[in-house]
Amino acid sequence: MANDLVLNAGRARPQATLPALLSAVLRDPWFVLLLALVALGVGWAVTGTTPAAVQALWHWSPALLRGLGVNIQISVLAMALGTIAGLVVGALSLSPSRVLRRLTRAYVLLFRNAPILVLVYFTTYVFPFELNLGGWNLPFPDWIKVVIGLGLPASANVAEIFRGAIQSIPSAQWEAAQSLAFRRTQIFRMIVLPQCVRRMLPSWMNLYASITMSTSLASLVGVHDLVDTATVASNTVARSDFTILVYFTLLALFFAYCYPIARWTRYLERRHEHH
Amino acid sequence: MMDSVLQAWVAFFKPLGLNYSFVMDPGELSAFGHGLLVTLQLCAWTIPVSLVFGVLIAAALTSGRPWLARPLQAFVEVTRNTPTLVQLYCAFLVLNMLITQKLGGGNPITPFAWVVIVVALHKGVFHAEALRAGIEAVPTVTMEAARSLAFSRRQILTQVQLPLAVRFALPALVNNLVDLVKMTAIASAIAVGDVTYESIMIWSHRDNVLELLLLILLYFGLLTWLVSVGGRWLEERLRMPGYGQ
Repeated sequence: MANDLVLNAGRARPQATLPALLSAVLRDPWFVLLLALVALGVGWAVTGTTPAAVQALWHWSPALLRGLGVNIQISVLAMALGTIAGLVVGALSLSPSRVLRRLTRAYVLLFRNAPILVLVYFTTYVFPFELNLGGWNLPFPDWIKVVIGLGLPASANVAEIFRGAIQSIPSAQWEAAQSLAFRRTQIFRMIVLPQCVRRMLPSWMNLYASITMSTSLASLVGVHDLVDTATVASNTVARSDFTILVYFTLLALFFAYCYPIARWTRYLERRHEHH
Repeated sequence: MMDSVLQAWVAFFKPLGLNYSFVMDPGELSAFGHGLLVTLQLCAWTIPVSLVFGVLIAAALTSGRPWLARPLQAFVEVTRNTPTLVQLYCAFLVLNMLITQKLGGGNPITPFAWVVIVVALHKGVFHAEALRAGIEAVPTVTMEAARSLAFSRRQILTQVQLPLAVRFALPALVNNLVDLVKMTAIASAIAVGDVTYESIMIWSHRDNVLELLLLILLYFGLLTWLVSVGGRWLEERLRMPGYGQ
């Protein structure tokens, strides 16, 4: 049964035709809402009756998108850092040495039970603002500290996801592979790991979405991200209808980035259930 | 007595390079203590409120009434896929402003209450998902049996479905509550005066960030540990032979 997973990995999936795709997209209420908003905007622009708040939002939209870019940059780097560190910690947590297992357990407990905001404050204010490497003074900007602050809890979570995935592989597979004269590294690389990747992917994507949402905390330590830009815009324009608009745009932008990830994750989870 | 304990505390950490001298200042010590208390109060309010929201949302989602379930489903998706901080801003900076404008000053909802509402709604959504999975895990035979015994819809929900669903969902619920405790730290973003906020106030002119952060981490570690111990105790207490392990 579990071998089917490996065999099916390369199987071609049925391709969706364009009309089918279109109708599926049109049935999604979120997409219909987006279309309606675009139509409303075009209508305002054509008739020249755009409300002042919307005009101000249009004026601020490049800055807001740049802010979103900062958030995405932080989230991608934090996730990369968290994945690499997490795989190392996860691998160590499976080692035969009891001391190593205890240490990794403490690491995972510490960084999973600490509020992410506190970790972000930690890395931002405790780390120096300049690194001194053999006479070179490298600047250590706040956004990199936020990457580290988000990468630490991400690594603890990745370690748990990895450990769970490895342990979910039935030990009978190891024995079967050993009886077929596979070496330990071969079993790991050719049998265990490919299944682990598939099992880890949905949780990993969930974690990425949650890290992306946590990047909003960067605004609290003075990084000029999307939330910070929105606050600046709201204070600069100082109209209450614009304030309403800009904060709900903030919500919409994060939603537009994270919701497709969540949908795709659910799709992968469902597909995984079939096997 | 108290003074000598504090002095011993400061003297103990001095050689380790940690400067805890803020505890000798009565004003700062009481501010920090107040912060600890406010965080505890936030948890004490948010946990039951989030559970109530969770039950209500789960009940509405499984009610089979589209006019109720559809909008709530949209709400669930938005809540799950946007940052809590942005939700807090939308509530506190936007809704609060609108309410204040409407009432002309006398706004009854404090920042503390906004944090409780936003965090409880956010986690309530996750509770609802856990409860829904629990409700779906209730065997259909049990439901049919209850229906054949002429239980009404409401009775089935409150006396058969929910008690079983809570047991199935308990591990996930406790997980959510641990998350919730950690999430209360965002109260500092709107100056509610929880432990994180009071610490920022202290370290901004004492420059003892590391010392305070260690205390905060310890405190949150303690709170999350208490929640998970409570959860395990409840699991033990509610265990029914034949259901679960």
